[in-house]
Amino acid sequence: MMMSETTMRPTRAGIAVRERLTARRLAVMLTVLLLTVVVLLIVAVTIGSESVKLVTILKIMVAEVSGRAVDVSPENHLIIARIRLPRALMAMVVGAGLAVAGAAYQALLKNPLADPAILGVSSGGALGAIAAMIFAGSLPISRPIAAFIGAMITTAFVYALGQSRQGDSSIRLILAGVITNALLSSIVIFLVTTAAGARQRSVISWLIGDMGGETALLPLVALFVLMGIAVIYINARSLNLLMVSELDAFALGVEVNRVKLTVYIAASLITGATVAVSGAIGFVGLIIPHAMRLVGGSDNRLIIPASALAGGAFLLLADTIARTVIAPLELPIGVITALVGAPVFIYLLWRTS
Amino acid sequence: MLEVSDIRFNYAGPVLKGLTFAVRDGELLALLGPNGAGKSTLVKLIVGILRPASGKLLLDDRDLRALSRREAARLIGYVAQESVVMFPLTALEYVLQGRFAQGRLIGFESDEDLREARRVMELTETAEFASRRVQELSGGERQRVMLARALVAQPRLLVLDEPVANLDIAHQVKMLELVKQLTDGGEMSAIVVTHELNLAAEFASSVLLMKAGEITAHGLPRDVMTECHLRDVFNAPLIVDTNPASGAPRVTIARS
Repeated sequence: MMMSETTMRPTRAGIAVRERLTARRLAVMLTVLLLTVVVLLIVAVTIGSESVKLVTILKIMVAEVSGRAVDVSPENHLIIARIRLPRALMAMVVGAGLAVAGAAYQALLKNPLADPAILGVSSGGALGAIAAMIFAGSLPISRPIAAFIGAMITTAFVYALGQSRQGDSSIRLILAGVITNALLSSIVIFLVTTAAGARQRSVISWLIGDMGGETALLPLVALFVLMGIAVIYINARSLNLLMVSELDAFALGVEVNRVKLTVYIAASLITGATVAVSGAIGFVGLIIPHAMRLVGGSDNRLIIPASALAGGAFLLLADTIARTVIAPLELPIGVITALVGAPVFIYLLWRTS
Repeated sequence: MLEVSDIRFNYAGPVLKGLTFAVRDGELLALLGPNGAGKSTLVKLIVGILRPASGKLLLDDRDLRALSRREAARLIGYVAQESVVMFPLTALEYVLQGRFAQGRLIGFESDEDLREARRVMELTETAEFASRRVQELSGGERQRVMLARALVAQPRLLVLDEPVANLDIAHQVKMLELVKQLTDGGEMSAIVVTHELNLAAEFASSVLLMKAGEITAHGLPRDVMTECHLRDVFNAPLIVDTNPASGAPRVTIARS
């Protein structure tokens, strides 16, 4: 079912103007983003305190994928395959998840300024994760699950709080989110502050975003994130309609309540999973989808996968910077995302006024 | 084609108190009445946004309440109040959204979807905006794009809730002329909720006059839009004479 006619109309200046999303445009954008991710992945794995030859790195990466044995020193193998690669993959997975969750919340709330951190959902997830650390510390799998539950409860709470008589008022929702975020963050900080010594350090480092900390949970987190992204992607077309108006979407055939519930759950799953391993990282969900929309339009069939790839690339880059710029110390990754994200957010606010 | 039987709806009290009427193929029915009469409620019940407390709604002898969302969307096109679009969306993308119920849930628009979109955009004189963002269009242009989106799935029934509210008189006339053209073909009927009494009189093939959740009168414009009926329903000093050009009833105010 390829198009038999052009969907790019030339303007008088001879420049093609975007009319709608086509399969070709999708393929082009995703290919470019994928290549970017691959390059950044190689860069991330190459940079570090021990220098390892690029050829060796590539050999190890290929071996990890193909499962075959490889002829490199055990040290290099350890550094690359057990430390840098998992960390890089974690950054990609978390970045992809946060970006897609942001895109989903923006569509659901019909507001480009929504993101899981602003809505307090990340803090709810963090609270869940901390509860799991305190009560089920010996069971690492409990953290993403508890974080998911925390994220879901917070979503339901913020959503209910944000309802006005006219139904969804997205301004009210965001306000509810900001307030809930403030409340939950303070509870989180209280709990962290009262945690015992060594425990406290590791909890703080998790909270502010540590990609290298919990690589054992990588497969589970990757699973949750990919599941969440897949569910949201299946609903991409419905979200396109919901993004404009719920009433119109309903009249046009969207099962509005079912789609909303499904996507909210999927977004909470993603947020919970990412928070469980990397704390509450802000701004990724806000700026990545927005940047993608600027380039490619709002069609979620593009925005969801593009945000996933761009979010992965962004966090990969941010993590690389975070661990090299003041080496051997590490900057919290939330600092990098905020330093980039906050000015972008301010610019967005200014542009839309 | 549309049969409404004893429809009742409540919201902190009775809003619709047992309405019964029918709309035939090719009819353009104007729904008139003061604010609070229940016009928008009735329309939302037909579209399926609200569910009646009791009563039946049949479209082509099919119970509307038994239809899935997608089936209902293929049969009924709805143009309501405008909502602000917060994301970059072109007019073509907006119109293509009207094909949602036609297509598969996952995948891109088919050639047929595109053909139909271009067709209705030519019809509504919105083809030139195809690549422009919806937010950049004027109120009148946006209204026409909304109509295009409702038409693109070739519905059996078009429901318009105050479609001309934001348009200047020229555009109001154009839009209603277009709807009239489409219904005259016999394939589609339309229900238009409007406050523009004279436009209703000119373009509607039948009028339903409502007051406080009940039907006051239903029939031809000249039978329904009498001084007696209108003064009673609108509680305003209205006089009705005849449009010299068309012979349709013409409503004016008599201030004393």
